[in-house]
Amino acid sequence: MSGNVEHKSDDVNHDAKEASSADQTSMTTSGSGSYILLFFLLGLALSMVAGWVVFPKLLYTQKKQPLDFNHKLHLKEVDSDCASCHFFREDGTFSGVPALEQCLDCHYEKLGESVEETLFVEQYVDKGRQVPWLVYSRQPDCVFFSHSAHIYGANLECRTCHGDIGHSESLKPYEENRITGYSKNIWGSNIAGLKQATWDRMKMDDCAQCHETAGIHDSSVQTGRDACFVCHK
Amino acid sequence: MKLSRRCFLSFVVGGAAGTALSPLPWKLTDDLSIWSQNWSWTPVPPDGEYTQVNSTCTLCPGGCGIGIRKAGKRAVKIEGLAGHPVNDGGVCLLGLSGLQLLYGPARVKTPLKRTGKRGGGQWQAISWKQAIKEVTEKLKELRKKNQPQSLASIGPNGSGTVSALISRFMKAYGSSNDMKMASKLDSDEQALFLTQGIQNGMVGADVENADFILSFGCAVLDGYGSPVRMFRANSRWKENSATLIQIEPRQSNTAAKADQWLPINPGGEADLALAMANIIIKENLYNSSFVSDNCDGLNSFVQMLYENYMPEDAARRIGIDVQTIIDLAHRFATAARPLAINGYGKGQNPSNLKETLAIHALNALVGNIGKKGGITGLSAYDYIRWPKVVTDTVAAAGLKESRLDGAGTNAFPHAKSLPNRFFDKLSAGNTSIQALLVAEANPCYSMPDTAKIKRVFDSIPFIVSFSSFMDETAMMADLILPNHTFLERYEDVPVKAGLTAPIVGLCRPAVEPQWDTLDLGDALIRIAQSIGGSVGAAFPWKNYKTCLKQTLADQWKDLEKKGYWMPSQSLQADADSKNKAGGKSGRYVLMDGTLETIYMAQDAPLEGDSRSYSMLLMPYDTIRITSLQIGAPPFVMKTVPDTVLKGQDGFIEINKKEATEMGFKQGQAVIVTTPIGEARVRVHLSSGLAPGVIAMPRGLGHTAYDDYLAGKGVNINQLIGPVEDPASGLDTALGIRAKLAKA
Amino acid sequence: MKQEHTQHRSKRYGMVIDLDKCTGCGACMVACFSENNVPFKKDETDKRLSITWMKVYRIDNGRDFPNNQVCYIPRPCQHCAGQHEGHSPCVSVCPATATDYSRETGIVSQIYTRCFGCRYCMGACPYHARYFNWWDPVWPEGMEKYLSPNVSPRMRGVVEKCSFCFHRYQLARDKAYANRRKDVKEADYQTACTQACPAGAITFGDLNNPGHAVHQIVKPNDHVVKNKAGISIIGKSQNPNVFRMLERLGTNTKVYYLSSREWVRKAGDNYIADEKPEDMFAEQKKH
Repeated sequence: MSGNVEHKSDDVNHDAKEASSADQTSMTTSGSGSYILLFFLLGLALSMVAGWVVFPKLLYTQKKQPLDFNHKLHLKEVDSDCASCHFFREDGTFSGVPALEQCLDCHYEKLGESVEETLFVEQYVDKGRQVPWLVYSRQPDCVFFSHSAHIYGANLECRTCHGDIGHSESLKPYEENRITGYSKNIWGSNIAGLKQATWDRMKMDDCAQCHETAGIHDSSVQTGRDACFVCHK
Repeated sequence: MKLSRRCFLSFVVGGAAGTALSPLPWKLTDDLSIWSQNWSWTPVPPDGEYTQVNSTCTLCPGGCGIGIRKAGKRAVKIEGLAGHPVNDGGVCLLGLSGLQLLYGPARVKTPLKRTGKRGGGQWQAISWKQAIKEVTEKLKELRKKNQPQSLASIGPNGSGTVSALISRFMKAYGSSNDMKMASKLDSDEQALFLTQGIQNGMVGADVENADFILSFGCAVLDGYGSPVRMFRANSRWKENSATLIQIEPRQSNTAAKADQWLPINPGGEADLALAMANIIIKENLYNSSFVSDNCDGLNSFVQMLYENYMPEDAARRIGIDVQTIIDLAHRFATAARPLAINGYGKGQNPSNLKETLAIHALNALVGNIGKKGGITGLSAYDYIRWPKVVTDTVAAAGLKESRLDGAGTNAFPHAKSLPNRFFDKLSAGNTSIQALLVAEANPCYSMPDTAKIKRVFDSIPFIVSFSSFMDETAMMADLILPNHTFLERYEDVPVKAGLTAPIVGLCRPAVEPQWDTLDLGDALIRIAQSIGGSVGAAFPWKNYKTCLKQTLADQWKDLEKKGYWMPSQSLQADADSKNKAGGKSGRYVLMDGTLETIYMAQDAPLEGDSRSYSMLLMPYDTIRITSLQIGAPPFVMKTVPDTVLKGQDGFIEINKKEATEMGFKQGQAVIVTTPIGEARVRVHLSSGLAPGVIAMPRGLGHTAYDDYLAGKGVNINQLIGPVEDPASGLDTALGIRAKLAKA
Repeated sequence: MKQEHTQHRSKRYGMVIDLDKCTGCGACMVACFSENNVPFKKDETDKRLSITWMKVYRIDNGRDFPNNQVCYIPRPCQHCAGQHEGHSPCVSVCPATATDYSRETGIVSQIYTRCFGCRYCMGACPYHARYFNWWDPVWPEGMEKYLSPNVSPRMRGVVEKCSFCFHRYQLARDKAYANRRKDVKEADYQTACTQACPAGAITFGDLNNPGHAVHQIVKPNDHVVKNKAGISIIGKSQNPNVFRMLERLGTNTKVYYLSSREWVRKAGDNYIADEKPEDMFAEQKKH
């Protein structure tokens, strides 16, 4: 390899200065081919660390939920599981995250002395303010997700997409992608985008994958998969 | 150890390989592509529970039932209410745009007090407390000077509580200068009294069941009567192969869709109707049993027709050949259920009384008064039964002073209100009006000769507007006490728009008031109560809603539940069983002394001499442009064709052939001049307009409201003056003489 | 599950507009604007720049006063099927998969976030049914409050068009699922223009469903007919008063028009004087 460089320095004589410096370098490091491999590995290692470890840390910013909500506790108190608070309306639309008015059905007066309860009552109930929950599963405005089709039509369970949040005792921090503004849960916690459970990711491809498995994937003329006007609006 | 270039390159290559093996580039690409689709400035409409509030639209007199769809607390759509007796699901473009009025920039958001020059648009926001106080102080002062009659009001010609509250206020205060905006309803009301003896009545036309409809210039498909109902009737005519004949000089939408369009000389409607009557009687085609049983004055009617309305003379006057009239008369008289309807355009302006009577007489001759497919005289709504106003001495003295407009006097015994004469008097130098209240009316825009009306407004020392929007009249006010819009308030809506049965709709709030506004009824109650004494005593209610609930008493529950209430069944059934006309006497007067005077009178000439003004300028009504007190919202303006409005330029329609002869090209700028004023417009060459006539739409040329409406086109009322009908005192101008010149 | 789906008969949503009843009042246009968050500007008189998913055209018979006749033609997106289903003029040229044809509903979709604004589709559309957002939509302050959450507002640089109020289908399907039904009822899915039309001139539904009013009026031919140019005409109406716009192009639209006036029917498909559109169709049927 060093011979090569020397040959080059002879050849490229119109750039004498650079050639001579290269010549010098090659002379001082001659016989140090192993260093080159070392530097390759160093570059590889550093960039891998940057890509796998540093990048995800930089990419997401943590936001605290306005209140820490205990799903497990609530689930014990209510009669009809998730649907007690996250219910379908008569017209088949889904209520999603409960509004303050719903909470007031039970929390019309302070229940217990916990810090969160006090905060909830003082900051929201008394002031009549809606709790600005950060929704882990929030999708872009162009998405129409039909809970009705998935729950009633396909008989899926809540956890298929939302995981076991119903049994959590505390809300995990909301991690917002600094570039896109969406929650980390959409891409999934694995930075490589790999998923183990069905609820690990909530991107369009994940919808499409499941639709393909279910055999409802052939209405689009353009893609041969689901037509865009199934989940888009 | 020194770093060689090769080491560095190797490091870079290693780095690149490592990066490629890490998720960084792939995730970054994905994220950036999502980022590129984020448009932070594009609104994301928040979702919520979908609910619907059922109400009644008050944007025109039609009385359609509407459903306001909401997402959470926001109103997101207005729709027609399926199953509603007026519109059964259909809705017009103005009703559909209602939310743009509610959330729009032309709203008056808080009480305002004028600070700069009148009309200069400089305002100071004040509190409701102060606003009420300022009005009260001024009104108390006039009463203290024993001049309560120097207060005037201009309001809507309605039969509901809002209109009644204004009248009650005027009465308790002590002034008879209580003006109501005039419309076709006024001329109909007078005709109904003269022919059937029904007082304050309204004409119902069973258009749905007619099979031969003769429309004398009515904008059947452009907002006449209750607009959606008329559209539905037209569809029914198509289904049943009924015939619609449209008589007017311009090929309006109605003419375009009619089975036959009969262009006649403007103003020839009475001539045509009476010539037809002449033929029908002469050829014995009239319903003799109905006429002999129910009609009075046939002989003198016939005599009058033979003397004045021979078909040949009429044909010459109205510019069609006599055979056309004869054919029309035959077809009308021999149809199973013929119906003649009257009122030019949307019916926003009153009709000539002679014309109204002539067209009603046609219906009487074929015996379809109070019949299926005919016209019915309905008596007034009478559910408002408040205790009589007890006036104090000041008010009693004030009420003794006669009305400025002469309505109800010997000259115009049957008129209730003549706003055109009111303004004429003030314009002629009468200074007796010291204060003016304006509610749900925009006379500075919608009355003819706007320059004159504005001069009158300028001369009145104190003007209060209750407008929800910054319209032309509100601009001239000293104080604006903004009313809620129809989506924020309660109101009873008794419909008078030609329905065959009385119906009262309930307008109710769909959303919370968006701004610091107050219901007109509440504002009046508060003003009256703070004036106190007998004025306050006439308004014993806590607020307007209480007043409304008490007024409607037993009906309130039904109204809340159903959204409308039909006070009684159609009078048609009654009349049918008796085979009589609808009135109390059961008689229909074809002719008597009063009618004779009207029939024999010369028509009031159009303003301007025909030598200097060779053409006739006519306003036309289109449903694509709103022309009453509500300015067109952006969505409505968006539907206006570019042959009507281009940029800020309005168009004037002219017969294509005539325009070519005059050397005008499509889109060319011209100056249109009338005895009243002049304006710069562009010409639109039309194949659907009679020669000698030029036409401009009503509803453009606003100077107030917002940038989506103001400054677009020309307000035709700047070019047209009032023409008083000597029989009724109403302004019945159908146009004005005009000339065109290249700009 | 796959089998169950393929057995499920696909729908072909379409519309028939009765031009005898249509009065040109513009309610359909405004119903569409307010249903679909269509933007507006201070000046909407340059009609090339005015976004109107539904637009009412005015045509006349070209004769002078007083023999002039007028007809109004409301024009939504025609939801072309093309020569074979899904070969819509716009879908076949879109390089971004931003516009798509659904075999399930026959609706041509437009996904705004997917569109990069090349406007090929606008060039391809024979009906001028597609509009480009040259500017970001701006609602006067406060007016964004009426925006519907069911239709996403667009941004500058993308094309938009009528979707047959697809969001209403989505909501109707939600309702159907909640009621444990598979099928969307005819009454549950109607476009905003259909619902608003005060003249009742618009009929909307599934052209494949003999129970739907639209099928009964249109009476679409089950067989594909070839015209003289060898172009396949799918779903040609067997009602003599029904026509489609530019049917000869073989765009095979799903918006039909009904008129009792011959000059109107001719104007819809025949722009050469004295040409007879009925001659365009040979007897031969393709099975």
